[in-house]
Amino acid sequence: MTADSESRPSEPVAAVRDLHLSFDTAHGRVRALRGVSLDLHSGEVLALVGESGSGKSVLSSCLLGLPPESRRTTVSGSVTVAGVDMLHGASAQRRSVRQRLLGAVFQDPLTSLDPTMRIGTQLTERGVSRARALRNLSQAGVPEQPRRVRQWPHELSGGLRQRVMLAMALGADGRLSGPGVDAVFDEEGSPVLIVADEPTTALDVSVQAQVLLLFDQLRREHGCALLLVTHDLGVAASIADRIAVLYAGRLCEVGSARDILTEPRHPYTAGLLHARLELDEAAVPVPISGAPPDPLRLPEGCAFAARCEHSTSICGDSLPELCTDRSGRAFACVNPLAAVPGRAAGKAPAAVGLIAERPGSRAEPVLRIDDVHKSFRIPGSRRDRLYAVAGVSLSVPEGGSLAIVGESGCGKTTLLRMACGLLEPDRGSVHWTDGLRPQLIFQDAGSSLTPWLSIGAQVAERLRGEGSRRSRRSAAAELLERVGLDRRAAKSLPRQLSGGQRQRAAIARALASAPRLLVCDEPVSALDASLSLRILEMLAEIRDELKLAILMVTHDLAAARHVAEEVLVMYLGRVVEAAPAYQLFRDPRHPYTRGLRAASPTREPGRLAPTLRGEPPTAVGEPAGCAFAGRCPDVEPSCRERPQVLELLGDDPRRQVACQVAVRAVPA
Amino acid sequence: MRRIVITRIVSMFGVLMLLTLAIFLIQNVLPADPVRSYFGRNATAEQLEAKRQELGYDKPIAVQYVNFLGRLVELDLGTSLRTRRPVTTDLADFIPATFELAAASLAIAGVLGVALGLLGTRRGVGTGAVRLVSVMWSSAPTFFVGLLGILLLYRRLGWLPPGGRTSNTLEATSTGFLFFGRLLRFELAGVWDAARHLLMPATVLALGPSVAIGRTLRGSLRDILRDDQVRTARAKGLTERAVLVRHGLRNALGPTLSMAGLQIGLLLAGVIVVEVVFSWPGLGQYLDQSIDRADFPAILGVVMVLGASYVVINTVVDLLQLAADPRLRSQR
Repeated sequence: MTADSESRPSEPVAAVRDLHLSFDTAHGRVRALRGVSLDLHSGEVLALVGESGSGKSVLSSCLLGLPPESRRTTVSGSVTVAGVDMLHGASAQRRSVRQRLLGAVFQDPLTSLDPTMRIGTQLTERGVSRARALRNLSQAGVPEQPRRVRQWPHELSGGLRQRVMLAMALGADGRLSGPGVDAVFDEEGSPVLIVADEPTTALDVSVQAQVLLLFDQLRREHGCALLLVTHDLGVAASIADRIAVLYAGRLCEVGSARDILTEPRHPYTAGLLHARLELDEAAVPVPISGAPPDPLRLPEGCAFAARCEHSTSICGDSLPELCTDRSGRAFACVNPLAAVPGRAAGKAPAAVGLIAERPGSRAEPVLRIDDVHKSFRIPGSRRDRLYAVAGVSLSVPEGGSLAIVGESGCGKTTLLRMACGLLEPDRGSVHWTDGLRPQLIFQDAGSSLTPWLSIGAQVAERLRGEGSRRSRRSAAAELLERVGLDRRAAKSLPRQLSGGQRQRAAIARALASAPRLLVCDEPVSALDASLSLRILEMLAEIRDELKLAILMVTHDLAAARHVAEEVLVMYLGRVVEAAPAYQLFRDPRHPYTRGLRAASPTREPGRLAPTLRGEPPTAVGEPAGCAFAGRCPDVEPSCRERPQVLELLGDDPRRQVACQVAVRAVPA
Repeated sequence: MRRIVITRIVSMFGVLMLLTLAIFLIQNVLPADPVRSYFGRNATAEQLEAKRQELGYDKPIAVQYVNFLGRLVELDLGTSLRTRRPVTTDLADFIPATFELAAASLAIAGVLGVALGLLGTRRGVGTGAVRLVSVMWSSAPTFFVGLLGILLLYRRLGWLPPGGRTSNTLEATSTGFLFFGRLLRFELAGVWDAARHLLMPATVLALGPSVAIGRTLRGSLRDILRDDQVRTARAKGLTERAVLVRHGLRNALGPTLSMAGLQIGLLLAGVIVVEVVFSWPGLGQYLDQSIDRADFPAILGVVMVLGASYVVINTVVDLLQLAADPRLRSQR
């Protein structure tokens, strides 16, 4: 084995052959992977995309030699990294591959580091010298490394923590001398493969763009391979050379990023592409119909057939194999999309009207917020305060929808809590017409539902005091139907539902008390593209049917564009730009909005999004000038001297921007 | 960080003050008259009045409390009605024995608890059996387990002595730190003898707390071993042992420590029963005998010692938790 893997260039760094993996759950046996074969070559970025439950995380953990430890897990097939069998090899050998040749970056930087260990120890624990640890940190873009190694994880921002994870993946010094391995190992001691499982999903767009740029640099400079697991084709598009699409534990299409993104052959790939929320106005997203198959009851034939518009009678008969056609494209479909040259992925068959493109409502506001301020005491400091929200005004008309967009720490959640009356503003006022408090929808529906109460009972609970028990129960069932859940869902517990279904249940529960306003905190950011789109459409539907107003907070510009008529962009507790949605994304004016828009991934292959410099500072104390000045590409000396206030741009009272440079640039 | 430590210590003194206040008030409510008990039955009314004035019992209650605190600082807890000696002298005699028993018991509870916790993270038939047995022993009353232990290990098998601190009859009533003293003087035979005497009472006392500690540790370890951070540790190529000790146990320390703190309270209460069962010449026996004679100064003295140890130990646990979890240090 040692002799083979003395890197012939064509030899793959990692190879997966006919991998099957299944395990038991309380409800039956799950076949998570059903015959997957893949190669990864050095210097290559392979993106593994698919909806949640497709098996992509299971596959990535198999590459690390850490298959899920569930009851009666059975694995067949093989996974080799640098010539070592990662499934059945000696555990010491697999461990030394992990230690020396593999790097791993996971989704949630907040939970992936040990909170009780200093950053430095977590880096050196792997057998890395202190000097090398410092170098890795600087390569991963962590500033002030000597100070950082003495810090604890909770003292770092999410973006920095993800960089620390990355630094941890960056390899050791010295030559490798593990038992049985002394193979591919470059002079630098860099890993041969980095497995990154949704590495940017928990990050803001600007930090996401920075991390992706870093990945791209690393593979160029060190030639390591990267397996990028993601549910976002936009992330895949930015740095992947090849894309593999996984559905129900099988690959449905593998190919170069350009082929997959511009000319998908498998209907599922096309469906994923069309379901993606885009900032580009020409792209009207279409969700994939139906839901992924129940992993306990997978069909005999193509698992996608039930949702596929192109399915024929033979699709259900047998499993389609991944085959390569004459043009060199590999897909697993008996009735693939025609290889029409120039067929743009963006042209969807049926177009649903854009939710946001309707004239602004002039109805009575159901929520009015006037110049609210909120500051918090800083732990360990007597004088300094954190100015979370510093003078924000807004109003949401009946049946209207407003989105607040900004990165973490911009104060959008504080504002939202004040909007719901959960937090008293220091200054300013919050009015609800009728005194009816808004209902809240959270990002993580799983943890906002009571785990031991059935969905039906949770909805009915909100109706307490109205009518008989039976009438409440039927009203609850009606509400569940309205949000697109079938009546049977009323009897199930939250954990028996999928993420999308749970979010629907949470919305049904919120609607039970007949609110005038629904306040949504990142309602879809934990969901797949197709699911997000359907939830957003459902929100728009109930908004129109019930004349409900929606206030949504999100860091996802595309989600805002699809739901809101008006958008406010927040930075460090202030609104920096306000505009009708269609104008804001067509023609952003504030440098921050422009930066955010540019940093948002698109499905254009190989487009590495330009990044905003740095990360938002914390809003300690009152800044003298514009809070964005430190990161602004258009900054002028006078920007740092006086604070920037919202000014009208043109005639529309809804179009305002807090930037003297932007205001000046408008032709009078 | 320093501020948090100072706050914790200051609040500990606050709680201790409340404890003294409670004891003082109990003393005042009790029917026993310290002056009358000082003179006995034959005292004249004038004698009683004079002594009352001398001791300050005619003063307002607030002044009496301040005086009580003053005497407390001078380690004056009054005189025992039974032994006719100052309560503090009695306490000083009995505290070392109880301290040794409690310390040994705590050590056993810790070791046993960690072992049970680690065992619980493994799957298998054996762990279920261990859990069943541990629940049984922790739910049986302490005196019952103690008597069973004496019957089995002394009467039947003759492995361990039935009670007392030592086999040496000359030292049978000795006070002081018998075990630690012999250990320091390096009297190996003596240490062995003292350890054999300690083993059974300390283990009986430790059973309940060890199960509670083990269960908490097992619960938090199980959660932590499913955490992302453990996946990171494994992905780094650490050995399973390093993952378990450095990341698993380290993170499970916080909840386990707070459970241990609570259990020490139970352990201090259990000491009394165990000392009686094993004729251990400590605070428990002293208290038992004092209750028989309604010796209130002595009873309150023991209560004061046990209460104060509980408060101090829990403050120490609080501080240890700060050391265990860096996130707690930067709060507030």
